[in-house]
Amino acid sequence: MPARLLAIVLCAFLLEPGGDRAVEVGAFARDGRVHVTAAASDGLMQDLDEPIQAGVATTITYEADLREEVGIWFDRTLASATVTAGVQYDTLTRRYQLTRSVDGRIDDSRVSEDRAEVKRFVLGFDRLPLFNAGDLEPNAEYYVRVRVRTRPRVTFFFWPWGRDAASGMARFTFIP
Amino acid sequence: MAFRPASSPSLRLAAPAPDPPRPKRPFRDNPLQVLLGIFALVVALAGMMLLLNRSSQLAPDFLSEFVLYALSVVDLTMLVGLVFVLARSVIKMLVERKRGLPFARFRAKLVLLLLGMTVIPAVLVLLVGSQLIFNSVDRWFNQPMDEMLDSAQRIASDYYHDRQRQVSDETARLARELASADLASADLGVLRDAVAGSVTEQRLTLVEVYRLAPGADGLPQPVPVVDVASAAAGPMTTRDTSVRLAARAAGGQPDTWMREPTESGGELIRAAAVVRASDGRAAGVVVGTVQLTGEVAARARRMTKAYESYTQLRVFKPALTGVYLSFFLMVTLLILVSATWMGLYLAKRITRPVQALAAAAREIGAGHFEHRVERETADEFGALVDSFNTMADELASSRRALEQSSADLERKHAEVEDRRRFTEAVLDRVATGVITIDAAGRIGILNPAASKLLGLDAGAAGKAAEEVFGTGELRPLADLATAPYVPGKEWPAQEIALNREGREVQLALAATPLHGDGRQREGRVLVVDDITPLIRAQKVAAWREVARRLAHEIKNPLTPIQLCAQRLQRQFSAAPEPVRELVDECTGTIVGEVEALKTLVDEFSQFARMPSPRRVLTDVHQLLTGTLGLYDGLFAHVRIETLFAVSVPQVRLDPDQIRRVVINLVDNAIEALNQRGLIVVETQHDAAAGTVRIVVADDGPGIAPEERDKLFMPYYSTKKRGSGLGLAIVRRIVAEHGGTVEVGANEPRGTRFTIELPAGEADAAAGTEAM
Repeated sequence: MPARLLAIVLCAFLLEPGGDRAVEVGAFARDGRVHVTAAASDGLMQDLDEPIQAGVATTITYEADLREEVGIWFDRTLASATVTAGVQYDTLTRRYQLTRSVDGRIDDSRVSEDRAEVKRFVLGFDRLPLFNAGDLEPNAEYYVRVRVRTRPRVTFFFWPWGRDAASGMARFTFIP
Repeated sequence: MAFRPASSPSLRLAAPAPDPPRPKRPFRDNPLQVLLGIFALVVALAGMMLLLNRSSQLAPDFLSEFVLYALSVVDLTMLVGLVFVLARSVIKMLVERKRGLPFARFRAKLVLLLLGMTVIPAVLVLLVGSQLIFNSVDRWFNQPMDEMLDSAQRIASDYYHDRQRQVSDETARLARELASADLASADLGVLRDAVAGSVTEQRLTLVEVYRLAPGADGLPQPVPVVDVASAAAGPMTTRDTSVRLAARAAGGQPDTWMREPTESGGELIRAAAVVRASDGRAAGVVVGTVQLTGEVAARARRMTKAYESYTQLRVFKPALTGVYLSFFLMVTLLILVSATWMGLYLAKRITRPVQALAAAAREIGAGHFEHRVERETADEFGALVDSFNTMADELASSRRALEQSSADLERKHAEVEDRRRFTEAVLDRVATGVITIDAAGRIGILNPAASKLLGLDAGAAGKAAEEVFGTGELRPLADLATAPYVPGKEWPAQEIALNREGREVQLALAATPLHGDGRQREGRVLVVDDITPLIRAQKVAAWREVARRLAHEIKNPLTPIQLCAQRLQRQFSAAPEPVRELVDECTGTIVGEVEALKTLVDEFSQFARMPSPRRVLTDVHQLLTGTLGLYDGLFAHVRIETLFAVSVPQVRLDPDQIRRVVINLVDNAIEALNQRGLIVVETQHDAAAGTVRIVVADDGPGIAPEERDKLFMPYYSTKKRGSGLGLAIVRRIVAEHGGTVEVGANEPRGTRFTIELPAGEADAAAGTEAM
């Protein structure tokens, strides 16, 4: 019995939450905006499926940072944006209420009964113009880093703090 | 318990030092703060219990997102604090043990015992309690409960889904039937009849038909055409919901049904279907509604709510388990922290008074007798502290008395030491020999004068008197040292004669018993005096008296005898030759012998009436040079050499008398050499002794050692025609100058006379003149 407790505690420290999860990120500049595409792996959905099906209001937050590499110092963040995808499942009517907001502004809201659509809606976004490209230098290298946080989080007994559920980045050369 | 620092290690010189500011009491020694701490602890426990009690009412999301974080932070903080306190205590104990501080081992054992008594049960309770929590949480989510709630939720969901599908299907059917009708111009009665069947047959509760008209934004807007409601239907909600649903369906959105609660607690399920004209154009929308009674809807909602609550709990199972475990861990840590603090506090409370006493004992042992231990409690430790302070007071008093006695003793010892040094100085300088003999017959003190007089070395001290004096001419001292003491009767003084390098030394011996404080005998003191000069002076005085009387008695008749002899010579000058020759011969002999007698008597008179010297500062070398010049050319075979010291101060002396002394000695030497040999006149200056020496040495036959001392006695002469007064006069003159004259053997042969005159006056005079 105590061995079970010990094993759980050890797992809390040894296992990395979302360690096999990643976000594929794509970025390009067009029409003065930096468009970002993010696609989280299916593993993330496996973690969220249970709370979604239980009717728990579930959100996936994509924190996107437009960054520039700095030689021997920390990279500089030029701009940040937050994309939040919310799912609320009505177990009685078996319908999903989907909501997406960008920096707190509602970007999309729909009701769906299709779990595949829910998965697509939750696990990413496609070519969202998140950043203004006006301040970028032509032909310079930049990258977009996307970190994913989920709520409710996958936590452990004694250590509720975890790393990002997933993260990824994409480099691009700004060509006006 | 705190120390009062020692004012000074020396009690005699210790001034009352001002008390230092009282140090601030630590937290553990402040009862008010301790009570406040306990109160805060109780409040924290009560708060935790309240939170735990209400945890079932809190949303799982809130528990996992906030409560679990807060509890984890608190647990971590307490764990870090506990580890820090334990590590600090362990390090302190190790350091104290390494330093060998008193009671460090006892304190370590006490702390470990108290911690062990608390930690082991607390950890066991934590393990068992954690397992109980795991088991309890597992029991919440067992399979029968899962199946029951899932089935109930499926029933409700299926019922809703069936009803929704029925409404959607019926609405779609009505839309298809109305496809041939022109909703804008059709007869309303016909339309109502077309849809009324669904209501009357209770497939729908309400049917609403809308036609689509172009709106201001260009999108088709639903316009109500006709509606048919069941008579059993209660008051419906506003039409707005139906209009929005119709617009959504007309817009082509796939979401064409919805739920809507009613005021009576029931629920409406609405579905919309687009009425398409024969050309496929959307001409209108049919919205069908089914009303669920309040009871059915409420039950469905309760079932759904229970299911969602259950499944949400299952989702948050790890977090909830963590919350309860964190609660439990926090209580355990609280107990551990309290027990640790209490253990350390108790250990310190117990050992600190003893450590304070031990430290105070060390201070007093180091001589800080003013050190005291402050009493803080009224228990047995307080009584022990009082006893210790009383003991320290008595020790301080004893120490003060002891130091006073020691000071007196040191003063007396110094006095005795001064007296001893004075006595030793006197004994070292005095010409009288002093010998102490202890009760065991051993020699204690043997002063330098005694060593010199008796011919002993300093090593004789400590030996038995019988051993040192037992043989030879010192035997009388042994007899005196061992003579039995008769109370009230002194030992008689004795005189002994010792032979020292051919000289006879006359010593007077006297003995005095030594008595201790209790009049017990502690030995005796022998006093040895050199009375040789005294006896010699007595002899000289006697001879001077004899000389004076002889000169007086003999000289008076000599002149008449001489005159009578001369008269006889004149009377018989005319007598016959034989007679005259006889008379001349006889009277000549008489006159000659009378003259010789006169000369002898003159010398006697001179010896008897020698005047006191008239001393003046004199250059000794000049005096000697002038005196020795008298002999130049007189004796062809006698060589007189001088060996003067480089620097000889002037000496205050009578030049005529000293010249006579030198002539006397040189005459004796010439006579001893039989007018053939070497005479050396030498001068020496002993600045340390303050003397100037004049040495007259010859390489003649020398003088036997046994005769040397007799040479200076009046009327002792080794010459055929000597009066025996020459060397007596020499000694007297030298003695009148405060000096000495000695005779010894010359190397390699001959005789050596040494005159030693004090130069102190000359030096003083020279110094005065120099000024």
